[in-house]
Amino acid sequence: MSKTVVARPKVVATPFPPLRQALEVRAHPSAAVVAARRLNRAAGLIAVSVLVDSAVEHYRGEFHNKAMFTPLVLGALSLLVSAHGHNDRRPARHGGRDAVYASAALAGVAGLGFHLYNVGKKPGGYSWQNLFYSAPLGAPLALVLSGAMGFLSECVRDTRPGDAPTIGGLSAGRVVGAATSVGLVGTTAEAGLLHFRGAFHDPFMYLPVTIPPLAAALIGNAAIRRTERRPLTKAFLRFTAALGFVGAGFHAYGVSRNMGGWRNWTQNLLNGPPIPAPPSFTGLALAGLAALGLMQDHPDD
Amino acid sequence: MTERYPGYDVQAKRWTPSWNEQTREVIDRRLSMDREPRYFTAHEWPTLEAVCARILPQPSDRPPVPLAAHVDRKMAEGRLDGYRYAQLPPQGVAWRRGLKALDAEAGTRRQRRYSELSAEDQDILLRRMQRGDLDGEAWEGMPCKLFFQHRVIPDITHAYYAHSVAWNEIGFGGPASPRGYVRMGLNRRDPWEAVEKKAGR
Repeated sequence: MSKTVVARPKVVATPFPPLRQALEVRAHPSAAVVAARRLNRAAGLIAVSVLVDSAVEHYRGEFHNKAMFTPLVLGALSLLVSAHGHNDRRPARHGGRDAVYASAALAGVAGLGFHLYNVGKKPGGYSWQNLFYSAPLGAPLALVLSGAMGFLSECVRDTRPGDAPTIGGLSAGRVVGAATSVGLVGTTAEAGLLHFRGAFHDPFMYLPVTIPPLAAALIGNAAIRRTERRPLTKAFLRFTAALGFVGAGFHAYGVSRNMGGWRNWTQNLLNGPPIPAPPSFTGLALAGLAALGLMQDHPDD
Repeated sequence: MTERYPGYDVQAKRWTPSWNEQTREVIDRRLSMDREPRYFTAHEWPTLEAVCARILPQPSDRPPVPLAAHVDRKMAEGRLDGYRYAQLPPQGVAWRRGLKALDAEAGTRRQRRYSELSAEDQDILLRRMQRGDLDGEAWEGMPCKLFFQHRVIPDITHAYYAHSVAWNEIGFGGPASPRGYVRMGLNRRDPWEAVEKKAGR
């Protein structure tokens, strides 16, 4: 019996195996990690919007209730852990990020409760007047969405390389896609209410009530239908993402058109259209694009 | 008079974003008004000044707001309210008739002009006017109560509270143009608004 020489796999000797592993993960992150990091970025962008918008608006409300600091704290934390997640290429959940994202989402739900209570106790209750001018019901939703997208990101990331990411037994792409669709509808409702209040005086004010709902319908449709290439959905999500940034620009222009212009910024930043609000559309669209990528990388049908 | 807004001077807003060039011009014009009559005659003038001094007595430690001159300019420039009680004649005519009637009432009762009466007697006549109890011939059928409520009181008080001295007293920010206000709720204060002294301090 002759001895067969089996060529042994070549092993690169490194003195520090964890480093090698880290380098490999860094060079070739799995599709799930790529998607998770996209969702981290989406959550982070929505968190920026929440942080700045709530800082400005709650300053206007003089932090009358100490709970009004909550979205500042959780928005900032959500932003921090999102940056951390963006820099993290390991395919595993992170307890700290998970905790922050979950708290942000819960705080958003609590904030919605506060805002509902605040509107309800005003004379006239849930009248159009109070919906327009009291605590906005849609704003805490953004904190919920930042937390939810981050939380979903952790679920997606927690996938063994090679496996299809799932959330609660469902395809992760479909879950994130559905969440994006719901989030876009809610954010559109908020923009619609406030742009109606502004009498759609600039024709561009129709854009956030036309493009994002179409994107919501398309990504919602993608989440429940057969997996296939969806260039139209992708295009509308990208359009929505661009709209978020363009919207901030339009809002800055709106501030300049208020009496006194930028010279009167202490008044007009508060009184004019909120500059930090539109980028939450961008955040949601990025989540939708991540969902689309997940669905196509891991078809479940 | 106790100050509710100690140290507050609305004029300090002059060069801040609160006021722009138009606002400064309007306020300058208002504050540089001379105190001589243009509409009313030299005969009517002391009566009008006396009425103003009783409706809105002013402290002696500052130059008084020229109320009579403000009322006079409103008549001279024909700045109307936009409405008028049908029982009252046009504003200038109403004032002329009312002042003449007050002098006539003072003459009937004290053989003096209204402006020469003691403050107490001036007040008695104003109160009777307020109740509608004056109906001498000089009124020519004009209801003195309506004249008091809708001519005397608004014209004089509006003149007073159009003046920056009055704004300092009540902590008002003036036209706030272009600044405006951001905290609209009751009992909420913008950072650039006057600070009210808390009770008991």
